[in-house]
Amino acid sequence: MDKAVNFEKVTHTYQVDTPFSQNALENVSFTIQSGSFTAIIGHTGSGKSTLVQHINALLKPTDGTVSVFDRIITPKTTNKNLKQLRKKVGMVFQFPEKQLFEETVIKDIMFGPLNYGATEEEARKSAVNAMKLVGLSANFSDSSPFDLSGGQMRRVAIAGVLAMNPEILILDEPTAGLDPRGHKEIMDLARHLHDHNHMTIILVTHQMDDVVDYASNVVVMDQGKIVKVGPPKEIFSDPKWVYKMQLDLPSSALFAQKMIDTGIKLKTLPLTIDELADQIVQIAGKEGKKDE
Amino acid sequence: MSNFLFGRYLPGESWVHQMSPQSKLLLSFYFVIVIFFANNIASYAALLILIMGVIILSGVSISYFLKGIRPLIWLIIFTVLLQILFSSGGKLLWHFGPFSITDQSLINGGFIFIRFLLIIMISTVLTLTTTPLAIADGVQTVLKPLKGFHFPVDTLALMLSIALRFVPTLMDEMETIMNAQRSRGVDFGSGSLKHRVKAAVPLLVPLFTGAINHAENLSTAMEARGFTDSEHRSKYRIYRWQMKDTISWLVFLAVGVLVLGIRKW
Repeated sequence: MDKAVNFEKVTHTYQVDTPFSQNALENVSFTIQSGSFTAIIGHTGSGKSTLVQHINALLKPTDGTVSVFDRIITPKTTNKNLKQLRKKVGMVFQFPEKQLFEETVIKDIMFGPLNYGATEEEARKSAVNAMKLVGLSANFSDSSPFDLSGGQMRRVAIAGVLAMNPEILILDEPTAGLDPRGHKEIMDLARHLHDHNHMTIILVTHQMDDVVDYASNVVVMDQGKIVKVGPPKEIFSDPKWVYKMQLDLPSSALFAQKMIDTGIKLKTLPLTIDELADQIVQIAGKEGKKDE
Repeated sequence: MSNFLFGRYLPGESWVHQMSPQSKLLLSFYFVIVIFFANNIASYAALLILIMGVIILSGVSISYFLKGIRPLIWLIIFTVLLQILFSSGGKLLWHFGPFSITDQSLINGGFIFIRFLLIIMISTVLTLTTTPLAIADGVQTVLKPLKGFHFPVDTLALMLSIALRFVPTLMDEMETIMNAQRSRGVDFGSGSLKHRVKAAVPLLVPLFTGAINHAENLSTAMEARGFTDSEHRSKYRIYRWQMKDTISWLVFLAVGVLVLGIRKW
């Protein structure tokens, strides 16, 4: 697999040379492989959002280099010619519905492609496509985005990013404030984009269940530093450490912990609901045999 | 933009920070009035020394302070240039079409430059050392006498503090929206004027929508907690006149008298 994103000793300081100066990232180095599904976790204020904003050069490192595919961003990079990079890196911000502004849904979704030089016809085509992807009925095309429900607005905003056909998709807490069904639909969309469209997905989240259910790679941040990188199994193998990072275990692991507390022995700590079910079946099987 | 100091608060415990907001507010007004009495080098020098003293007392480093007001220099220079090029009187030094420079206009230009600088310095010190809410409280105290004329002082102060309170919130939101639209390929601050105006639409529409939403939520929250504007309201923070205020006033009054003494009559 190729490298999609590479951070090399990146430091970012907000408001350099002022009394407000504050280190948001400190000497961060890591790599995200092309086509991977990476979750970035860490408590509030640990630097997750600052980190992801470097990937499409909305922020530039104060020190160090960020490379995205073959594009290298250093502290000296100017704001010119960043369009090509930003086209490749789609960014869904927290509460993306706040960025809607057009009169109609379709126009808002076409906005990105048009900015990146698509013709009216091409833009409309990718907008229609993006609406299908996020599960918005074509009937909404001509309604005002401000007349839609919160969940629908969120889909329009995400479609607006997908219409640009990015190679990397960054989702910054995409499900905050959605109901459980909306939550699952957005997360399944991320999985679909990863599996079928081969997008590199970077998910910033506080939902540990989503981390174990969807991500293959996890980056843990604490106080502007990356403290651990690895598959979910490795990250959650030490519950004490997880709590120290002010994070939580996935709910299946929490359930399993309660089982362990009552004296039931488990071989490993299950992370997903399937793993938990498997272990329960095994135990129940043994118990069943004993009864015979 | 991030170095821009005007209107920003810098936390601290200095002499100037500890003065009561109403006294700082009135003192700034008084200082601006005194500025207009100064009309020769000696009187301006006295005021410059005074304001330098105030900046040192406020605990803000002078170099940082000067860097912070630098963005406003262009505005001053523009005004000074107008003054120099269009005023008449005195010995003619240079002229071209409607423009002319005289020795008198150069001197006037110089004085206007210092005047602007002094006004910007005193108001920057005021906002640097006083939280927006304290300023609103100060305005309320200063305007209190108007209550006798049925002027809605409390409502005005409330409006002021809400407006000030939401400045950072809206700034943050603007930043986020700008970033979101940048990701969608908008290029802010480059290209032709027409292009720039067009780029403002995707920024302003969400910003206004957000502001209206905030207003609605805030009014609901206030009503839910039983707010009405007719009640007599008590305050969590009470700013009392202190010794520091008296001493500062005495110094400022002394400098004011000095300016009146040494100005050209």
